[in-house]
Amino acid sequence: MAEEAMFDFIHMEAVSYVFQGGEKISEDEAISKLEHMGFATGYRLVERLTRESGRYKDELDIMKYICKDLWVTVYKKQIDNLRTNHQGVYVLHDNRFRFLSHMAAGKQYLQYAPRYLAFTCGLVRGCLANLGVTCVVTAEVTQLPACKFQIQVQRG
Amino acid sequence: MAVAGNYYFAIVGHHDNPMFEMEFTPANKEPKKEDHRHLNQFIAHAALDLVDESMWTTGNMYLRLVDKFNEWYVSAFVTAGRIRLICLHDVKNDDGIKNFFMEMYETYIKHSMNPFYTPNSPIKSPAFEKKAHFYGRKYLTG
Repeated sequence: MAEEAMFDFIHMEAVSYVFQGGEKISEDEAISKLEHMGFATGYRLVERLTRESGRYKDELDIMKYICKDLWVTVYKKQIDNLRTNHQGVYVLHDNRFRFLSHMAAGKQYLQYAPRYLAFTCGLVRGCLANLGVTCVVTAEVTQLPACKFQIQVQRG
Repeated sequence: MAVAGNYYFAIVGHHDNPMFEMEFTPANKEPKKEDHRHLNQFIAHAALDLVDESMWTTGNMYLRLVDKFNEWYVSAFVTAGRIRLICLHDVKNDDGIKNFFMEMYETYIKHSMNPFYTPNSPIKSPAFEKKAHFYGRKYLTG
């Protein structure tokens, strides 16, 4: 149980550390740094986590693995909804995202929410990259603590 | 009953680059001619296409025998992160090779968690080599 709190606190600190540059660092640069941290983490993490779960041949199987196993391992819950247009775009709905659930419920702090999603976007992108899927991951929040992650697979 | 055989083991990364190579020969045999080394790499590289092909047909990590060249058999093992472990051998030793692959997979995972190791780069750790020697002697050359 203790490691859940650890992860929350380290993530909070990472976000505030990256943003502490003040005027010298722009919002985009800082978010980009967090995303890159998530990417490197996800790349190595998935090598370790897929030890027991075997290999996946299908892109949809890989997405389901992300929604179920990966989310349970990292955030202790599953993704609530997965939608796809079967043409390379997947949307993951999380109705109670762990990092946002401690902040507010509703529209307060909406402008700061992207900072707390950047690491997760990178994490998903890194995991998919090591599993063979090149993609772009973006996040969208309309009302805390629910959020949507959109995965766009680069093909061709 | 341990059948003496020669083995060549290689770990291949995402860009078909060799990350680690090692040869195992039985202890009692005298060293063979040196010009067989480059042939091993050639055979392993040629087998990569067949590994990629059979990778999509099965969900297992251990792909068993994928290719044969003259007297060399090629067995392969692919991880979820698409790291390919290739083993060239001249005697059939399915169980031993499967155990060896599983142990090397575990060793590789532990090594990949080292923050100073960049994924897909050559593995130069002496501890890794020692482990490979140990498992090779335990499961392959007996």
